[in-house]
Amino acid sequence: MDLLSMRESYQHERIMLCFNGPISRSLIEEIGKALRNYLDTQQAAPSAAMDVFAVYIEMTQNIRHYARRQGYSDELAAATVAVARSDQGHYQVSAGNLVEHADGKRLVAAVDALALLDKSALKQAYKQQLRRPRDAEAPSGAGLGLLDMARKSSFPLQASLQTLPNHRSFFSLTATI
Amino acid sequence: MTNMISDLDIPGNQSSPAIQSDWQAGRLAMQGDSYPENSYELFDQVIHWVRHFLSTEQRPLHLELALVYLNTSSVKAMMDIFDLLEEAFATGREVSVDWHYDARNERIAELADEFREDCSYPFAITPVKGEP
Repeated sequence: MDLLSMRESYQHERIMLCFNGPISRSLIEEIGKALRNYLDTQQAAPSAAMDVFAVYIEMTQNIRHYARRQGYSDELAAATVAVARSDQGHYQVSAGNLVEHADGKRLVAAVDALALLDKSALKQAYKQQLRRPRDAEAPSGAGLGLLDMARKSSFPLQASLQTLPNHRSFFSLTATI
Repeated sequence: MTNMISDLDIPGNQSSPAIQSDWQAGRLAMQGDSYPENSYELFDQVIHWVRHFLSTEQRPLHLELALVYLNTSSVKAMMDIFDLLEEAFATGREVSVDWHYDARNERIAELADEFREDCSYPFAITPVKGEP
């Protein structure tokens, strides 16, 4: 395994922290803790650090909830997560996972629709979603996650879908804070 | 007194807030981060306590909060609690919230303020000077 080339590619992409593999509840917490500590050492503003952490939590918990609903095995439920710092000093949080192709298309459409909303429209949509009855959506309240990430981002969320065999696709989402 | 249910004293951890209730004093307190995967596993018992207090007692209820980060699932659960207080307030009950936050992190104040927008009872958002 060529770890050096992996390392160089992370450095080239300015990735501060990344993970690939089956993601458990405790792993989400531990990586989150590492992320917070790292942001702290970088002297990120507390509000920016909290936004980065919040987006990371919503992304990874959405992946966990989805994999559980689909009954995916550990292998299928693997997540690819990266947090990077852009040249302009923005933080970028990205996460990717396998999804059923139809779900992936629906997600990309939902993300694209959010890009059309300004901050106040996003807030209104968030509050509406918050007031939907618990049973009317996924038990975790996953629908709120995308809206929350969009509200915390400085630019529209970016989603992409890459088709794989067996009706599955790789969905990836990036938030720039 | 006979209708009193046992008080909550839940220790916090990395992803769950510490929660204490005091039936005699009419007080509920929560501190820390809240981002469990399924917040209702945690908050159902809190919602139950608040509902029970408001339906059996006529005394005031005060919430003392020092919550920091909430995931969306926790936001939804907290909204349910604030809605219960709003219902009680509409029938003339005395309810109030005091949310303390680290003055260096305005995100917490913004979060608290969004809850407050939907509440008509006294809801204080108080900055606390953090350690240097």
